[in-house]
Amino acid sequence: MLQELLEPTPLPPSVRKNRIAIGSEAYNEVLNFLYDEAEMLDNLRLGEWAELLTKDLEYNAPLRHTRSTAHFAQTYSRNVQHLHENYGSMMMRVKRITDTKSAWGEDPPSRVKRMVSNVRVYTTDKPNELKVDSYLLVTRSRFDFDYFDLIPCERHDILRREGDSLMLARREILLDQVVIGTPNLGIIL
Amino acid sequence: MTESTNPRLSDGTLLSDLINLETREVKMRTLSDPELYELEMERIFAKTWVFLGHETEIPNKGDFVVRDMGSDSVLMARGSDDNIYVSLNVCPHRGMKISTHDVGNTPVHVCIYHGWAFKPNGDFIGAPVDKECMHGNLLTKEQLGLKKARVAIYGGLVFATWNIDGPSFDDFLGDAKWYFDTLWCRTNKGMEVLGPPQRFTIRANWKTACEQSASDGFHVLTLHRWLSEVGPYRKPGSEGGGGDLTPEMYGSEVYTAHAHTMRCIELDRKIRRLTGKEPSELSVKEKLEALPPPGITPAMLPEMMERFSEDQLKLMTWRPPQVGNFFPNGLFEFVYIPTPDGVIGVMALHAYVPKGPDKLEFVNWILAEKDTPPELKAQMLRLGVQLLGTSGMVEQDDSDTWPHQTLAAKGAVSKNITLKYQAMYENAKPEGWPGPGDVGDGFTKDDTQWRWWQYWHELMTAKN
Ligand code: FES
Ligand SMILES: [Fe+2]
Repeated sequence: MLQELLEPTPLPPSVRKNRIAIGSEAYNEVLNFLYDEAEMLDNLRLGEWAELLTKDLEYNAPLRHTRSTAHFAQTYSRNVQHLHENYGSMMMRVKRITDTKSAWGEDPPSRVKRMVSNVRVYTTDKPNELKVDSYLLVTRSRFDFDYFDLIPCERHDILRREGDSLMLARREILLDQVVIGTPNLGIIL
Repeated sequence: MTESTNPRLSDGTLLSDLINLETREVKMRTLSDPELYELEMERIFAKTWVFLGHETEIPNKGDFVVRDMGSDSVLMARGSDDNIYVSLNVCPHRGMKISTHDVGNTPVHVCIYHGWAFKPNGDFIGAPVDKECMHGNLLTKEQLGLKKARVAIYGGLVFATWNIDGPSFDDFLGDAKWYFDTLWCRTNKGMEVLGPPQRFTIRANWKTACEQSASDGFHVLTLHRWLSEVGPYRKPGSEGGGGDLTPEMYGSEVYTAHAHTMRCIELDRKIRRLTGKEPSELSVKEKLEALPPPGITPAMLPEMMERFSEDQLKLMTWRPPQVGNFFPNGLFEFVYIPTPDGVIGVMALHAYVPKGPDKLEFVNWILAEKDTPPELKAQMLRLGVQLLGTSGMVEQDDSDTWPHQTLAAKGAVSKNITLKYQAMYENAKPEGWPGPGDVGDGFTKDDTQWRWWQYWHELMTAKN
């Protein structure tokens, strides 16, 4: 029962026969969305980014465990997660940064590059929704530190067409690290 | 009283040169020195009781998780007799890590290097090629088991120590137990973790996090100021408006001999707002019904009330412990968060695991009573993740502070700057205070953190 309340709605599978061709118009539109999104987030245009979110947003980052090959499928935990957000809580995160003078965890802000690659787009059962899988490598530079925190992850998104724009309706972030190597997830992935 | 020694670091500095017990100052060098770190691992983490996790993480026979006791990796496992065992995660053969997994279930832990096998309780079962007696005959099988720690389970929390003949766990808890019972022993069924812990790394000395967790109140006003700007403590009108969190910082602070501390925050204002009545005119039961402890519903109250003395119930409805620590590296939060749906409780536990003089691992568990209805558990968990731990909007700010303190502690000049704990309570317990321990009354002060350093000093200079 608790499990059901906590688990995000399962994402549709990524099936090869539903792939949208790389370079097609629909594919390019998705790529533009992801690149624009990265640009907005990298440049602290959070208010603008928030306009791309649907009101039924689900935004999650499961925990992972180091387990044996035989248990690879069970390395994710979706009850307690690193991020477990809906539209309201995501807007609170945005507001904390845009509307206060005390979001110290990101003030001064990190220099961040969100590098998006390996993008695959799939049709889904819903005519207005696309499933998008991508890799994301985030480099995060804080203060005058000479190292970068690296946050490599995989993203599974649902993009929904509303009017003539695409909106982010769901995102699941699968982080590579079991023990996250940056002092907080104070940036949006 | 333990006999004391005064360790000397290789440049001639005595431990006693680093802390001024009269003026309540600690040299910043303590926050980065590698030699001191080694001493801490031996004199604190290998001696005292260390918090490792919760029994509900390993509910079935053979379940295990890998945890840390200071700089040592340990296996926390449920044996075939249903008891929980903690053993050093190091193979007695040639020192391979026994389990390279974070969690799992197995009746036999087999070392992948040469195949020696151990029970979840740490007992040696045997080595391969038994007929050739691979493990030799100089030591008996009993002598070839994993090194076992002494374990104590309290309110579902698992603690362990290498100090096999040392003080009991009850002795370690001391006066804190009276208060801790009101947190961890509130229902007959007890608590459960809502999932595995979040884990992340911070490039900071473990003590930066731990001295803060010993109930530092002042940092809330500045570092967590957003809480009153746009967060849950934003108040319309004059009270605390415009980012002032000072009204939240009144109450009582408790500090005990072994440096367990807690901030007991006044509930009166919340109860007044919820009921429109003067708290002093309400009975304990009426107050509990208006504002039950985190995770407790009105239906769960009768059972809870039976478990406690009148004095404990008085504390729980007046100034319950909401934030505090267990020495050396645990923190708990049992907070009442105002939300549009009413006040929702969040319960979290942290371990700040030392990973070297300038690195720590932050481990965050979110808990609820087993009997809490699932919908409320889910709300508590979501709010917990939003505010605490990896992405938590409150703790993001803490984890970005500690690395700067650790870096400053390396400066030739700044390493001699002192951390100051000089804001002192000039009063003792408030009138009618029902519990034991040292108690300060009024606005938050430094006494709890100072007690943390006093006990640190005591352990660091103790003669075995
Ligand atoms: S090191 Fe474990 S069997 Fe040899
Ligand atoms: Fe804090």
